[in-house]
Amino acid sequence: MAEDFPVISAESDAWEAVTQLAEQRLPGLVVTDPAGKPLSILPTAQVVRILVPSYVQDDPSLAGVLSESMADRVADKLRGKKVQAFIPDDAPELAVVNDDDTIVEVAAVMARLRCPLAAVMRGEEMIGVITASRLLQLALTPPR
Amino acid sequence: MSTGIANTVFVVAYVLIATEKIPKMVAALAGAGLVLAFGVVGSADAFYSHDTGIDWDVIFLLLGMMIIVGVLRRTGAFEYIAIWAAKRAKGSPLRIMILLVLITAVASAFLDNVTTVLLIAPVTLLVCDRLGINPIPFLIAEVLASNIGGAATLIGDPPNIIIASRAGLTFNDFLIHMTPIVAIELVVFTLVLPWLFRGSFAIDPERAAEVMELNEREAIQDTRLLVKCGAVLFVVLAAFVTHSVHHVDPSIVALLGAGVLVLISGSQPEHFLAGVEWETLLFFAGLFVMVGALVKTGVIGDLAELATDATGGNALLAVMLILFVSALLSGIIDNIPYVATMSPLVLDLSQSIANPVHAEALWWSLALGADFGGNMTAVGASANVVVLGIAARAGTPISFWEFTKKGAIVTVITIAVAAPYLWLRYFLLA
Repeated sequence: MAEDFPVISAESDAWEAVTQLAEQRLPGLVVTDPAGKPLSILPTAQVVRILVPSYVQDDPSLAGVLSESMADRVADKLRGKKVQAFIPDDAPELAVVNDDDTIVEVAAVMARLRCPLAAVMRGEEMIGVITASRLLQLALTPPR
Repeated sequence: MSTGIANTVFVVAYVLIATEKIPKMVAALAGAGLVLAFGVVGSADAFYSHDTGIDWDVIFLLLGMMIIVGVLRRTGAFEYIAIWAAKRAKGSPLRIMILLVLITAVASAFLDNVTTVLLIAPVTLLVCDRLGINPIPFLIAEVLASNIGGAATLIGDPPNIIIASRAGLTFNDFLIHMTPIVAIELVVFTLVLPWLFRGSFAIDPERAAEVMELNEREAIQDTRLLVKCGAVLFVVLAAFVTHSVHHVDPSIVALLGAGVLVLISGSQPEHFLAGVEWETLLFFAGLFVMVGALVKTGVIGDLAELATDATGGNALLAVMLILFVSALLSGIIDNIPYVATMSPLVLDLSQSIANPVHAEALWWSLALGADFGGNMTAVGASANVVVLGIAARAGTPISFWEFTKKGAIVTVITIAVAAPYLWLRYFLLA
């Protein structure tokens, strides 16, 4: 059930990572440490949240106060930063499943962690990723 | 034995509240539960006595104002005023700080301090972000201003509400006695801002132009709601001021105002109840029961006698002692439990002083000391803690010592101004 999926290192440039998310319309990226071991998931929703200034998150009425030119530059904060900088200190538990897990086991992990994708492991090695949409595809496919 | 139980429960609960080992609501309610369980006080004492029980006037005044403020917050009016002011300052950091400080202080006189800083902090971060300057000096200045401004009226700070209820003081009494000194303090505070935060006011003309591009009108979420809130708030304040005419207590006025606002605004419970801090109200309730146990067992009376002996019946000495001790202790521990504990003691003290002007001065010194003392440290007032949290989330953390360095200076200044005021007004010129 695992499929190839873009994986990015925590030390990678954040701008490039977000560009990848945007161009490929991905639900998130698997973030690995320099050794390639899965470290965390960076959901696209989290990146969108990062674009919102903290003061707007605290007071949503300020969102409209910013001018068009200010709003257009909202992604500037991503420049010159590493992906690691955007993984929150209280990062959600990484969704990890085994390659022999059933659809229900995978769904349970995703539901519990509210994560749109999970890293698929065979032993200590990550062999791919399963997304929520791929999981649904498998669930809806009649058994042979 | 009742005295021993009341004392022990109170001290342990107080330590837990001050150290925040457990949530203060839990500590206060547990303490109240224990004095009730051991029969130190009964239900009549706890629920029906103004001297020993829950002060329902305080609870319901707070409840009413929390609901009103909860609805008012949704209008965006405060944000409009703050951004409008920043644009009037033409991007000058010092002028912006002064204007935001004054707005914060005035708002704090009518809204609770925590709500005021919750409203001003995001706008401040926005303006500083646009100017490309460090927001920390601005946030510290504003929270100091909120604690100063909140002292001006009966509803500006919870300690004032407790004092008013215990002493039988009215909204107008606070306007006559507290507002003038707070106005003086604000002038002094504004004058020291350039020195206190020197080095924080460098101007970048290009960034200053960005502030002018902000559109404050977009902050107003609901104009009709704003008009309704403004009307209700005006009527509520007018009712506070005209209490001597209609004799409707402030708690009733606040509740009626909240009820009318909820009705005419069509607010849903999840909106208008979102601003109610139930934990704070329960904390107050527990606190009043514990302090009531000390009143009933005579502990407060004994302490008052000790205080009278210590001051030799000298009212001026008592006033100054209360001012300085209140400022010191309020900077270290929460000023709400401090004032809740001191109020019955000051009541007993005031009743032993023949001159009514001198007797009333004790209350004003308690209010000034407790309100201004909250500025002394980063944990001296709830508003301080809230701002530190907001600053940390914004990536510009304020350390305990960074705040306390400024707060301690401001506390010394405000108390140094308050002391001669009390002496001049209530002793020399009375």
